[in-house]
Amino acid sequence: MKLCKLAHREPYTNLMLVAKNLSKSYKEVKALTDVNLNIQKGELYGMLGPNGAGKTTTISILSSLLKPDEGEILYEEKSLYQNLFECKKLIGVVPQEIALYEDLTATENLKFWGTMYGIKGKHLQNKIDELLEFLGLADRKNHKIKTYSGGMKRRINIAAALLHDPKIVFMDEPTVGIDPQSRNLIFEVIEELHSRGLTMIYTTHYMEEAERLCDRIGIIDEGRIIAEGSLDELKSNSSIKEEIHLKYSNPNKNSLGQLTDRYKGQLLVNEDHLILSSSKANADLPELIQLCSQTELLLDKIDIRSLSLESIFLELTGKSLRD
Amino acid sequence: MFTIALKDIKQYFKDKTAVFLSLLLPIALITIFALMYGGIGKSEKSRPINLLFADQDKTNLSQEVFATLDAEEGLKLESKTYKEAETLIKKGKRTAVLVLYKGFQDSVEAGKKIPMELFYDEAKEIEMGLLQQALWSNLFGVTMKKGIKGKVNTWIKDKNPDLSDSEIEDIQAQVAEQFEGFNNSEEQSEIEENSELPMTALVGEKKNGNLGLVQAIAGIAIMMLLFSVSASGASLLKEKEDGTFRRLLIAPVSPSGILYGKMLSTLFMAVLQLSVMFLYSWLVLGLDIFINLPALILMILCAAIACSSFGIFMASVCKSRKQVESLSTLIILVISAIGGSMMPLFFMPAIMKKLAVISVNYWAMEGFFDIFWRQLPLIEILPKMLILLGIAAVLTSISVISFKRNLLKMV
Repeated sequence: MKLCKLAHREPYTNLMLVAKNLSKSYKEVKALTDVNLNIQKGELYGMLGPNGAGKTTTISILSSLLKPDEGEILYEEKSLYQNLFECKKLIGVVPQEIALYEDLTATENLKFWGTMYGIKGKHLQNKIDELLEFLGLADRKNHKIKTYSGGMKRRINIAAALLHDPKIVFMDEPTVGIDPQSRNLIFEVIEELHSRGLTMIYTTHYMEEAERLCDRIGIIDEGRIIAEGSLDELKSNSSIKEEIHLKYSNPNKNSLGQLTDRYKGQLLVNEDHLILSSSKANADLPELIQLCSQTELLLDKIDIRSLSLESIFLELTGKSLRD
Repeated sequence: MFTIALKDIKQYFKDKTAVFLSLLLPIALITIFALMYGGIGKSEKSRPINLLFADQDKTNLSQEVFATLDAEEGLKLESKTYKEAETLIKKGKRTAVLVLYKGFQDSVEAGKKIPMELFYDEAKEIEMGLLQQALWSNLFGVTMKKGIKGKVNTWIKDKNPDLSDSEIEDIQAQVAEQFEGFNNSEEQSEIEENSELPMTALVGEKKNGNLGLVQAIAGIAIMMLLFSVSASGASLLKEKEDGTFRRLLIAPVSPSGILYGKMLSTLFMAVLQLSVMFLYSWLVLGLDIFINLPALILMILCAAIACSSFGIFMASVCKSRKQVESLSTLIILVISAIGGSMMPLFFMPAIMKKLAVISVNYWAMEGFFDIFWRQLPLIEILPKMLILLGIAAVLTSISVISFKRNLLKMV
């Protein structure tokens, strides 16, 4: 796919979105508690958290789909609920699911969604052509969506949110369920949109995505934003400085259990490797190797890496992002 | 609202096979039911009912009864012995046999109990009901005249036992002369007319009107339409399942706008389906749809509005498409049965006829009967149209309230 290159973004000047003290409960379950957001114009804000952390509820509230029990939302200093239709036109939403009509073509889908936002005629057609070109799908524009691959559908799903030139776009886990190649294409699209100065809120439970794409990251867990800042800020605020990656060849429940007990809240156990969050890797490594030896865990490779969001999340919540 | 409706219509026409089937199925059913009710053909009258006639009396009077009944349009007589008739009925080939026993004429003339009997197949009760109507008026028309004469003679004998035989014979001759004297006279015709139970058809087979055909078209078209609108109403729930509903709610359109958009597309499809049904009925089944075209167009519109609101109502009160499918099938079958779509209402017991008024089918069918059968002017059909619109208003109001209330659950 070839992306059109546009002028680079202007530096942030003022606030696009302000959310104050958003709270939402479903019967007894608190879905959001006192969520505050200040999103600058042109900013790409990542909301990182495991499934069920409250990311989609936040997006639903910010996009007017749900009403919060408490709190206030302002778009360009205008209250969402007092200027509902005006604010809705500022918003574009890329939902988690493919919200398209499978039996219609890409052009028919985009025409429909464009018309829903009041765009008509030649202007709409030009916008559709421009977006399909931008997303590398111009040659498939008259094909039904049901004939598209997962990645292509995801790109049309993004196009449908961009037709009306929104000032802020919410992307709710837009890479769920697609292959790495399609995921990279979507990353390129997002980076290009970011470079054009579009404000975006991007939710994900993949730390790599947040690390690669976002200017600022809000870590959300159990309906609360527990940390916020740029990747560097989050890293510097953490007591953890490094990660020890151990690749093992004989998965052994007993030895893994002993290691988990010893390094409670510090150790991530993956399929074939362990990640130990450490404030001083050189000091912790000998003890770790000795423990592995005692528990008869055969190590293939040892690696010391700089701190990732995964470890920060573990430090903050005591659990893995993929839990 | 219009954008949503247009999108739905576009989606509807995308699946050409489904469109074809949605029109073909009602057409096939209408044709089958029209054949069942014997209603195909512009000027075709109802098929006469076969009646077997076993004459064991073999007198002038029994022959006169045969001739009179045979002349009746609704009956087709076949002369058989009782044994032959019994075999045919038991084999299910005929419905009934009228047996005139020996002594029939004598009993009639003497004013005694008439020795005759009707044997029939109990399984053919509906046909028997129609047979009785045609049979009794003619049968008693013939026997009554002779019976009265016999009764008078017996009465003279009973009341005047002192009279000599010659005097009685004289009176009898005079009475007979009085009756015979009316032969071919205007007075006799007058008495005959007066003595018969007058039966006047208030509603009948007028020009181009055919009860069976109208029943088949109106009944089946409305029932099938209800199935179609439930399916298109369920497209709202498909939007929910596919995630497009969330996207619609995020767009600058009100939730009720989404609902009205859905209703508009459903209405379009309903009008299309009904129009195709009536065009087919005109072209193939011989129904004169031009008999009162303005009334027909308005009636199609009102029936379509009422049915569409039913579809939207189902979509707004159900939580999933599966719920819509099962619940609407149940409701449609029930209201179609009590509303007369499946079987003409006059076959049903009184309680069912009273219940019929709660169904959309009943009012729509009554409207179509008014146009094609009763051939009423538009002004007299308007109340039924207003009732259909009233039903639509109630169902739509409930749908809007329910839709708004369930909005949170839907997203």
